[in-house]
Amino acid sequence: MDRKSHLIDFIKNEIMHNSRANLDPDTDLLGAGILDSIGILQLVAFIEKMFKISVPDEDVVYDNFMSINTLVDYLRQY
Amino acid sequence: MRYLLSQGVTLTAERTPQQEAARFNSTSLTYAELERRSNNLAHTLLELGLKRGERVGIYMNKSLESAVAMYGIMKAGGAYVPLDPFAPVGRVGFVISDCGIRHLVTNQTKVDAVRQILREISCLQHLIGIASQAEMQVNCLEWEQVYQAPHQYPGLNLTEQDLAYILYTSGSTGTPKGIMHTHRSGLSFAEWAAAEYELTSEDRLSNHAPLHFDLSTFDFFSGAIAGATTVIVPEALTKFPANMARFIEEERISVWYSVPFALIQLMQRGGLEKRDLSALRWILFAGEVFPTKHLRQLIDMLPSVRFSNLYGPTETNVCTYYHVERLPEVSDETIPIGKPCANIEDLVVDADNHPVAPGEVGELLIRGGVVMKGYWGQPEKTANGFYRRPAFDQFEDLFYRTGDLVQLDADGNYRYLGRKDRQIKTRGYRVELDEVEIALLAHPNIEEAAAYPVPDGQGSNLIESAVILKIGAHLTDEELIAHISNRLPPYAIPVRIDFLIDFPRTSTGKINRRELQETAVARQAGVA
Repeated sequence: MDRKSHLIDFIKNEIMHNSRANLDPDTDLLGAGILDSIGILQLVAFIEKMFKISVPDEDVVYDNFMSINTLVDYLRQY
Repeated sequence: MRYLLSQGVTLTAERTPQQEAARFNSTSLTYAELERRSNNLAHTLLELGLKRGERVGIYMNKSLESAVAMYGIMKAGGAYVPLDPFAPVGRVGFVISDCGIRHLVTNQTKVDAVRQILREISCLQHLIGIASQAEMQVNCLEWEQVYQAPHQYPGLNLTEQDLAYILYTSGSTGTPKGIMHTHRSGLSFAEWAAAEYELTSEDRLSNHAPLHFDLSTFDFFSGAIAGATTVIVPEALTKFPANMARFIEEERISVWYSVPFALIQLMQRGGLEKRDLSALRWILFAGEVFPTKHLRQLIDMLPSVRFSNLYGPTETNVCTYYHVERLPEVSDETIPIGKPCANIEDLVVDADNHPVAPGEVGELLIRGGVVMKGYWGQPEKTANGFYRRPAFDQFEDLFYRTGDLVQLDADGNYRYLGRKDRQIKTRGYRVELDEVEIALLAHPNIEEAAAYPVPDGQGSNLIESAVILKIGAHLTDEELIAHISNRLPPYAIPVRIDFLIDFPRTSTGKINRRELQETAVARQAGVA
């Protein structure tokens, strides 16, 4: 599975608790109320464990976590 | 003379019309513009038949229009009702019908949610902020049309006793309850705070809290009284500590007000040490206990900033305060909630309403200008919320029962010890655990349910729950969460649901929630 699919699965199953949710990779995760403070922490922990990278605090910003696509773009450097 | 909340803006607009009143995402409104636009909205609402004391919903993500909406509604004689833009539509619909909202101020991004709400409730008649929709049987008006309405001050004959806003909060009977505030109760707090924190027109106040959260009344109302600038933090940024730290620096925030959780996040992940926060002079916090070890760290990090702990249930705005002067080096004892604000009488009573001796534990009762008018549509709950102390057989003094257990220190400061009931705070949000259980029990396959708080290690709580299914019934964790997500706001959804065969019981057969809670705490400690 590619990173995008891993992220979509994690957000659907662990954050939205709805495996059948329709989650577009361009959806504004914050504006739609999908991610809150706790969700962001869960997502960072998942990324670090799943992709074996360390996300610095200064990179946990809105520009990077706005949508699945912005997150995948950000993760390209790793 | 100032006796209405909206006069904060009107009087400042006369004095310093070009001063910035509100900022959002690098756009702003001057006091003259805010005065004019809120007049436009007031005339629009009056034209649409708004009556004195009628409730008007505000349903949108935060923007400059949030300020226009609050003041416009109050100027038209209405009470504004902020609706959580992130709450499930079922809950928003409940609030709209509970207080009979006919007029809703919203914007285009909420069109789909409004459409769903309209399918379920019938009281809405006018939508302001969205273009006409063919299938909607209601009157729609866009903001551009609103801004063509007359711009003069409507000058209605309102009094300080008129309803100004209603804030809905978690209710123990399973549905949210509306806390009614008048211009007087709002102003009593806003004027006290503007004076106590010596706000001036030079100040730049953050608005971090959502509008349905009472912390926001300081940001807007105290700010306007002082002629200061209120800088609205976009909701998305509030979730990212690094963004918030940059925001405080770039916006030159001088007074910050939020729940402790946001400040702890900011301190631990915001990179504060790299930021120039020289404009910051006050950090105010409320809503929850600030764990001393975190507060000490934050004070050490920001030695030139003053810190103040504000206490008060939404029913009383704020009623006590404590300026944090210094913290003991070794002890992690929690800081006090302090002394009563001006114009407030405090009383601590036992279970029989008898005053306790100083230093003894009792429930804190509050009397004074800041106290709410009551709960919307719930006269019985309102009556139970107050204690009437007879005076000279002639009249009665009315005290609000906070439900909080306190103890007076030798130095005259109150300490908060806990709740009398099952209300908790989770990351600053107030939740009645009974409401969570009722939402779980509403699923047809659930036989019994328990909800309990588990400390999150950050000084706050997360909610966990356990359920027992009906015999022969099947239900997944996902189905159950989907069910309660239609009823509860996101922060009230348990982070974990255990499916059990039976619960631990007390000797009388009641669910032993304490034991469930202890098991959860032990499990968490085992993991950590």
